[in-house]
Amino acid sequence: MSGTPLLQVVELSKSFGGVQAVNRVSFDLHKGELLGIIGPNGSGKTTTVNLITGFVKATSGKVFYQGRDITSWSPHKIVRLGISRTFQMVKPFYQLPAFKNVIIPLYSPRVKGLVGGKYGDRSAVALDLLEEVGFERDAQVAYKVASVLPQGYLKRLELAKAIALQPDLIILDELFSGLSLAEVASIVPIIEKLLLEGKTIIMIEHRLKEVFRIAHRVIVLNYGRLIADGPAEEVMENEEVKKAYLGSED
Amino acid sequence: MFVGTVVYALINSVILLLMAIGFNLTFGISGVSNFAYGAFYILSAFVTWMLMNWIGVPYFLSAVLSIIFTAFIGAVMYRFILIRVRGQVLSEVIATFGIGLIILEFFRYLGFVGIEYSLPVFIDHSFVIAGTYVDMQRILIVVFCIVLILLLWLFIHHTSIGLAFRGIAQDERTALTFGIDSDWIAMLSVSMGAALAAIAATVVVPLGTISVGEGYDVLINALAVCIIGGLGSTGGVIVASLVVGFAQRFTDTYIGPHWTMIVSLVAILLVLIVKPSGLYGKQKELEERI
Repeated sequence: MSGTPLLQVVELSKSFGGVQAVNRVSFDLHKGELLGIIGPNGSGKTTTVNLITGFVKATSGKVFYQGRDITSWSPHKIVRLGISRTFQMVKPFYQLPAFKNVIIPLYSPRVKGLVGGKYGDRSAVALDLLEEVGFERDAQVAYKVASVLPQGYLKRLELAKAIALQPDLIILDELFSGLSLAEVASIVPIIEKLLLEGKTIIMIEHRLKEVFRIAHRVIVLNYGRLIADGPAEEVMENEEVKKAYLGSED
Repeated sequence: MFVGTVVYALINSVILLLMAIGFNLTFGISGVSNFAYGAFYILSAFVTWMLMNWIGVPYFLSAVLSIIFTAFIGAVMYRFILIRVRGQVLSEVIATFGIGLIILEFFRYLGFVGIEYSLPVFIDHSFVIAGTYVDMQRILIVVFCIVLILLLWLFIHHTSIGLAFRGIAQDERTALTFGIDSDWIAMLSVSMGAALAAIAATVVVPLGTISVGEGYDVLINALAVCIIGGLGSTGGVIVASLVVGFAQRFTDTYIGPHWTMIVSLVAILLVLIVKPSGLYGKQKELEERI
């Protein structure tokens, strides 16, 4: 891809005490691209995303979004620029019904800035969004409080909340974890639709098969270092990646 | 005597509710335990007194200005001190209690002690309710408290800031992902809590005098009500106000006035032993934590 990247990560590092969680990681992401971030447990995937979204402050390095230096910005400011994210451990507002969880981002400064505060019937918009991510309208699941929803619905709710913010870049942190094969299969088309709508997506995943199917590019992290960057089939042929996943024979 | 005690117990409960609602709002939204709360109550009363007696500002305007001033001090306290220790409960308590001590003891040092430091009642009149004389100020306190609770409910449930308040209260991380500035909202919650302490002072102080010691009593009463009700629970605070209010008034009437504060403290201890999270608390019970 050519042109100015939507997101540029330059020599990004983070250490927690003596542990180097992310070590001089650099990569670009262009508009409309789906980037998969994979790596063994503890390789620094989530920390990298936390650094990009401002939930963790970088020790060194830079993050540029649309050419603007957003390193160490607060999360709420980064969201307003158009980067939304989901969390591996979902945390909806448990006391609220699912559709109200989606109404709240519709009142966010980001959405207000885009639509000028006139959104019409936000309940209807929230219900449409939930239907889009797989909440069956007839089953009235959208009206149930989040605390009673099973994991599959909570993950879909997490996705709906991220989409409701009308972001340009969506970061999905292990969206598929804890889901059955059938549930994953039903979410993949939703992600593909988001790509068709022009969204840019970063997916952190352990479910490699599904990521490889839809990602344009994959980067691999190991012990905080970026060890491979390229198309899925190319990356998986990389000796260092094989070693990271399968272990060394030494 | 019994009916009179019940009437005054109800009024006492409303006064306790007024005293506690600001502390509860701040804790419920931002998790900050504002131990300078009682000092804000007294600060506001003294500011009103000073504006009236030193500058000659009319009573109503003095009260409004002192509420705004106290809210501002609350915001400053958050912006420059609490923001650095937020989330570290012990540090929050020490910092706010220290600020409260400075405010209260500074007034004592300046000589603000004596019966001349008092605020006038709004309307000097009284009624007979169920055979008991009740002055107009106490009736106004009840009406005022009901209106205030209603306005607060409307604010929390029907404004975008109220929505942000609820978001932060439920989960700060999720609220951040929606673009809500949690530090701004926490500062607002501390500031609003301080303003509510000032509002309580405006209507309650005319019943007596402005005394430094009252600042400590207000803090203990607010803590008693919030801990018994369950920190952060509005319904819990209302129920606890009634429990403590009735317990204090009946103790005062049938045992002795010097026992009333002890009743509040014993009530806190009993509730902490029987139900550590308070009557309507959402914090985990001890057995759930093990």
